[in-house]
Amino acid sequence: MPADAQVILDRSDTLRSELGGSFRDRMVEALYQNAQRVASRSVRATGAGKWDFDQRVDRLVTSRWLGLPLMLLLLGAVFWVTILGANVPSQMLASALFAVEGAAAAWFESLGAPWWLTGFVWHGVFRGLAWVVSVMLPPMAIFFPVFTILEDLGYLPRVAFNLDWLFRRAGAHGKQALTMAMGFGCNAAGVTSTRIIDSPRERLLAILTNNFVPCNGRFPTLIMLAVIFVAASFPPAVASFAAAGAVVGVVLLGVAFTLAVSWALSRTVLSGEASAFTLELPPYRRPSFLRILYTSLIDRTIFVLGRAMLTAAPAGAVIWLLANIEVGGAGLSTHAIRALGPLGEAVGLDGVILLAYVIAIPANEIVVPTMLMCYLGGSMMMDVTTYEQIRAVLVDQHGWTLLTAVNLMLFSLLHNPCATTILTIWKETRSPRWTALGAIMPLAIAFLVCLLTAQASRLLL
Amino acid sequence: MTPLGIFLAALVAGALIAMPRVGGAALWRRFRSRRERALSEDALKHILAWKHRSQLASLQSLAGALRIAPRSALRLAARLQSKGWIKIGGTGIGLTSSGERRALQVVRAHRLWERHLSDDANMPMARLHQAAEKAEHTLSRADVARLDAHLGHPEHDPHGDPIPRDDGKVAALNAVSLNEWPEGVAARIVHVEDEPHAVFRQILSAGLRPSLVVRVLERDSRHLLVEANSTERRIDRAVAANIEVEEARDRDLLPSDATRLSDLALGTAGEVVALGPRCQGFSRRRLLDLGLTPGATVQAALDNTFGDPRAFCVRGTMIALRKRQAEQVWIRRLPESPTRGAHS
Amino acid sequence: MDSPASGIADSRSALVNAAECQACPAHAQLARMGVDVAGSDHIVALAGNPNTGKSSVFNALTGLRQHVGNWSGKTVTRAEGAFALSGKRYKLVDLPGTYSLLSASQDEEISRNFLLFGQPDCTVVVTDATALERNLNLVLQVLEITDRVVVCVNLMDEAERKGLAVDVRSLSRDLGVPAVPTVARSKQGMAELVSTVAAVIDGEVKTSPLRVEHPAEVSDAIRGLAPLIEDLVPGLPNARWVALRLLDGDHRVREALLSGELAELANRQRQAAPAQSSRIRALEGAQ
Repeated sequence: MPADAQVILDRSDTLRSELGGSFRDRMVEALYQNAQRVASRSVRATGAGKWDFDQRVDRLVTSRWLGLPLMLLLLGAVFWVTILGANVPSQMLASALFAVEGAAAAWFESLGAPWWLTGFVWHGVFRGLAWVVSVMLPPMAIFFPVFTILEDLGYLPRVAFNLDWLFRRAGAHGKQALTMAMGFGCNAAGVTSTRIIDSPRERLLAILTNNFVPCNGRFPTLIMLAVIFVAASFPPAVASFAAAGAVVGVVLLGVAFTLAVSWALSRTVLSGEASAFTLELPPYRRPSFLRILYTSLIDRTIFVLGRAMLTAAPAGAVIWLLANIEVGGAGLSTHAIRALGPLGEAVGLDGVILLAYVIAIPANEIVVPTMLMCYLGGSMMMDVTTYEQIRAVLVDQHGWTLLTAVNLMLFSLLHNPCATTILTIWKETRSPRWTALGAIMPLAIAFLVCLLTAQASRLLL
Repeated sequence: MTPLGIFLAALVAGALIAMPRVGGAALWRRFRSRRERALSEDALKHILAWKHRSQLASLQSLAGALRIAPRSALRLAARLQSKGWIKIGGTGIGLTSSGERRALQVVRAHRLWERHLSDDANMPMARLHQAAEKAEHTLSRADVARLDAHLGHPEHDPHGDPIPRDDGKVAALNAVSLNEWPEGVAARIVHVEDEPHAVFRQILSAGLRPSLVVRVLERDSRHLLVEANSTERRIDRAVAANIEVEEARDRDLLPSDATRLSDLALGTAGEVVALGPRCQGFSRRRLLDLGLTPGATVQAALDNTFGDPRAFCVRGTMIALRKRQAEQVWIRRLPESPTRGAHS
Repeated sequence: MDSPASGIADSRSALVNAAECQACPAHAQLARMGVDVAGSDHIVALAGNPNTGKSSVFNALTGLRQHVGNWSGKTVTRAEGAFALSGKRYKLVDLPGTYSLLSASQDEEISRNFLLFGQPDCTVVVTDATALERNLNLVLQVLEITDRVVVCVNLMDEAERKGLAVDVRSLSRDLGVPAVPTVARSKQGMAELVSTVAAVIDGEVKTSPLRVEHPAEVSDAIRGLAPLIEDLVPGLPNARWVALRLLDGDHRVREALLSGELAELANRQRQAAPAQSSRIRALEGAQ
């Protein structure tokens, strides 16, 4: 039987050469001719309809002068709504949860539980969870639905359309803008979504640089810093706008790094020129709000929060243990912070921040909670719930400066992807080399950039 | 301490050399076997090339072409002979049938790789040959088959040379030199010779490449006046000798009113005439699948801040194309009409 | 031939009927079963161009809530779900959205391979009523691979908004397979879609798919090749399509022919046939 099959294959090869090299062209042409005939018999135009409206909107959002400003305005509005809306619920959640912590710890003590059990369960595990929930849940519950509305409307492909020229200059694919947009939600999801890019080279670029989009796990850090350090120096009336502007600025910096790194990779390890490019601009669709609420809350918010809580609980335990296991008269965390101190100082951060990032490798969401737990240590400062109080702790007690805030924002934007994202890069590329590059390159860039800003500011100021 | 130190150093050095796969010895072995493969394959290609010129290669020609010492050429020939790939006679070196198949496999890998670099990575023509010279020795037969399928079984490489099939069959090229082509008759370039490189560069800089339709307008003893893409160029006879042409087929000839999709004014419509010959591989297949087949109506719908890409309405869908791709789509302008033809 | 207007009125009334049909028996029996795909009686594939609301159809049928973003290619993995009708359980496989099945990209390869080797009992091709011409390109390709196809003409509301009237009856007649108008977002037409799928699987509705007319020299080549393939693999329902793919140099189909995988497929279909006599009828109808 295989011999017969070979005969058929040879015959098909011969027939193909006889047809003269444009078989595919003719086949698709025939398909479309048939499709056109069938369609022309069953579709009839009844009038102009509302097609014109879509076109007018499209002409506006892609217009030469207004296209890009409109995009920035929308992005800013999304962050503004998030920051404005999340502030109060965050504080309420924090005070409520910390009240629970205090009450429960007292209840444990009244039952005669040993101090270490109370400490481990309530000041360790529970406090980690409480921080994650109060810092993350409100911004996510606002950001995800708002962003999903933009996605369902069909606006994101227009963003890709508007920005493709920049990506082309960097040797990348315009659809990378779409995968970056997905990265806002979660970098792992962003890496998976690079499958929409057909050409392998451009797809690798998108995978390796997705990390430069701050994901939801990192937003709370940026928002907190923007509110504490940027908004605080503006009058209250415009403070929220200033904070949103700062976050937009950080995101734009991330885009700049994405383009620069794509450009550098295109001229070195991934040399080549952008090849095939097609991008479909789907018609606008009216988003269905109930479904958006459902998918963005259940699929995204709860999913991301659940993952954060899964890592926050053990992280809380680890932090508590580090603080309370004493070696040579000081807690383990004190040793770790002291060891990381010089490196932290050199790049304009400090030992605590670096320790927080080490503990937060499984999930970036827990950086801020870890940091705050380390700073607050064993002290029972339950009342540190508002941004003003956090600012007081950071600036007055731990010597934070504007440089620390700026560098933490930079580091948060640029540093290595979380463990889930690294695993996803491995799954998508099946290459240890690209996975390693995807993890190490951002970390190196983060340290380098922070080192430069730290040295520059020390030289200038 | 010192003897122990020496011992440890020796141990580490030994391990570094002997480690499987990444050790020094393994790397050296791999380097040697790669170089050997490259030499053998280049030798076979050389002998095949001479055969095509109806000549027999010799040890001297082999040493010259591969830039190796005569002694090395002798060793190389002996190795190829022991593998049964060549026969050495009194008049020179010839290929056995298995040697010729092997040589054609290499040629196939080379030309497919050029096609791949040209189609998938847009590499400029002038750099293709060098890159493929290296890659051809690293591909296995299965790699080549996969590449062939991925590229959609192309018939010719970017220079216009036929790509040998897996069974060693090569499509015949019955082309003539541009010098001999009659004046005024449309001809399609089927092959441009990439060696010598200086002449090849002149051909490229004149904008001449395979699949282009040209007409010889007039000729004198030293020059030809050639028209292509409605521009006239004067080229040297020595350059024209390296360009081979065939009679243009009907579908190569674009109607005189054909323009590029990239030149379509915003809001106006056109009808697709053909996809340009430089649009190949995945890019071509994708454009076809989206419905950019001859006869389709396209409308330039949207522009953006940078003027690139632009969105076109094709068969009821809005598709953004980069300028570079839109240049590859030939259209005929349609008269402006109030009805939106693209959405019918 | 009917005037287009009557056909439109018909398609509209079908929509209205489907919407009013919430209480009718067919709809009452449709049970959305989410991801519980165990022990299903039939496999139904869901194919379609990107951005045709394929995910909405999937969600409406299974009761799942797969996210529906408005950009091409968001379904990057194959999703599975289930629904039940009249005591039978159906497994629904959502294939990646593709423009064609000519294996230009990984997505197309996945979809094509599932339709060919996964042998679904029925394939629903979701099309965009506002861009039918382009969507029919894919429909025609699916029809070459398998006879048991239902065309779901989705986004009927968008088409109306854009001033396009789609005569679904004429479309169905031209294609030789049932076509069902739907608005998946608001679950209109879903009941009819499901009952049509069931009818096609049970053989109550016979299909005779439209064959693409190729230029003479291509048809000649197909005619030269298809009989050889039928001799080698008797009972193969889509020898014509296999011939086309071989002429195009499709690597995967070449391998399937060489390795005997195609022969195995044909065998499986033959063995399954006695149990479901309706399938034989469907096959005979096609040949």
